[in-house]
Amino acid sequence: MAHIPDGILSLPVLIGGGALAAVGVGLGLRALDDRAIPRVALLAAVFFAASLVSIPVGPSSVHLLLSGLMGLLLGMGVFPAVLVALALQAVLFGFGGLTTLGVNTVNIALPGAMAGLVLGPVIRRQVRPVVAGALAGIGSALAVLATGGAVALSLWLSSSDYVPVARVLLATYLPLALAEAVVAAVVVGFLARVEPGALRPVAAAGA
Amino acid sequence: MILRRFLILLCALLLAGPAAAHSLRVFAKVEGGQVSGYGFFIGGGRPQGVDWLAQMGAETIAKGQTDARGSFGFPAPATVTADVVVTVNTGEGHVASTTLKPERFGGAPMPGSAVTEPAAMPDGTGAALTRAEVEAAVAAQVAPLMERIEQMDARMRLTDVLSGVFLILGLAGMALWARGRRG
Repeated sequence: MAHIPDGILSLPVLIGGGALAAVGVGLGLRALDDRAIPRVALLAAVFFAASLVSIPVGPSSVHLLLSGLMGLLLGMGVFPAVLVALALQAVLFGFGGLTTLGVNTVNIALPGAMAGLVLGPVIRRQVRPVVAGALAGIGSALAVLATGGAVALSLWLSSSDYVPVARVLLATYLPLALAEAVVAAVVVGFLARVEPGALRPVAAAGA
Repeated sequence: MILRRFLILLCALLLAGPAAAHSLRVFAKVEGGQVSGYGFFIGGGRPQGVDWLAQMGAETIAKGQTDARGSFGFPAPATVTADVVVTVNTGEGHVASTTLKPERFGGAPMPGSAVTEPAAMPDGTGAALTRAEVEAAVAAQVAPLMERIEQMDARMRLTDVLSGVFLILGLAGMALWARGRRG
């Protein structure tokens, strides 16, 4: 699904995806400090393991992406996290491919980063953890749908042979978006209650 | 404390991890002039009711939709001139294919082939076996093995998952060490 294998995408798409991913990873790496490194690594490890667990849905099978959650907790740090995890999945298991690494990174990390940028400030201002969790859930669901759209766009830009069918896309991505929303809502709601500082990708000044 | 909770979550995911994975593969076999097989997701699940396409070189020799078990089947071409490639496309970005080399179809004499003449049974009953019969029998015997090899090849291993996780943590350690040296 989000792991597009080698040999399907056209060269311009691969190069474009690679360039976008390089920019994102560069921004993410610049923001890394002593506090961010363990966070990025832990979430990369969680993403690496979580997206290996898949559940059959209809004609396909889906797995968690956690991109919305990562975007909220890591900011632009989501790019290096996703890149490292995807590279390991490609090398160890042959999921996705090495040439498509850039495109797949952008497809997963960019919606997460956007969710974090747009919804993050709102969520951190919330006093009630339940509301923060609900907002995070909505952001995560939108991030998943955006990933689905980005995957479809990558395939459509490359060739007409493998363009996803909208009906199948919806049938597989909607349940995933819901599951993803529940996971993000629970995790963010919990963090907002016990450790609101954890929701900030960058340590607050003076904190 | 938060880090510890994430580690617990990570461990829980790891325990669930090796049971399932996420990638489409295609298995195909040639038996008695018939090509059959199925698509499968590593860790479980079959692509049901999705398009499949068989091509020999650039020519499409068969296509259709998989059944409830993700299976497909078509008669083997009479003369195999190039690799036969079976592609399964779920229609939402999962595409996988498998290649059947011309040797897999038998028929055409292969260099160094042992069975070229009808051979008598060693016990002297005189039952002669034709080359085609031998090949059909061997194909039937080998098919489950091929299937098993394909599945083992596509299996995720706990050691691989663990090495991936610890590689990530190691990278973090190296990054922290590098920053500590610089700062």
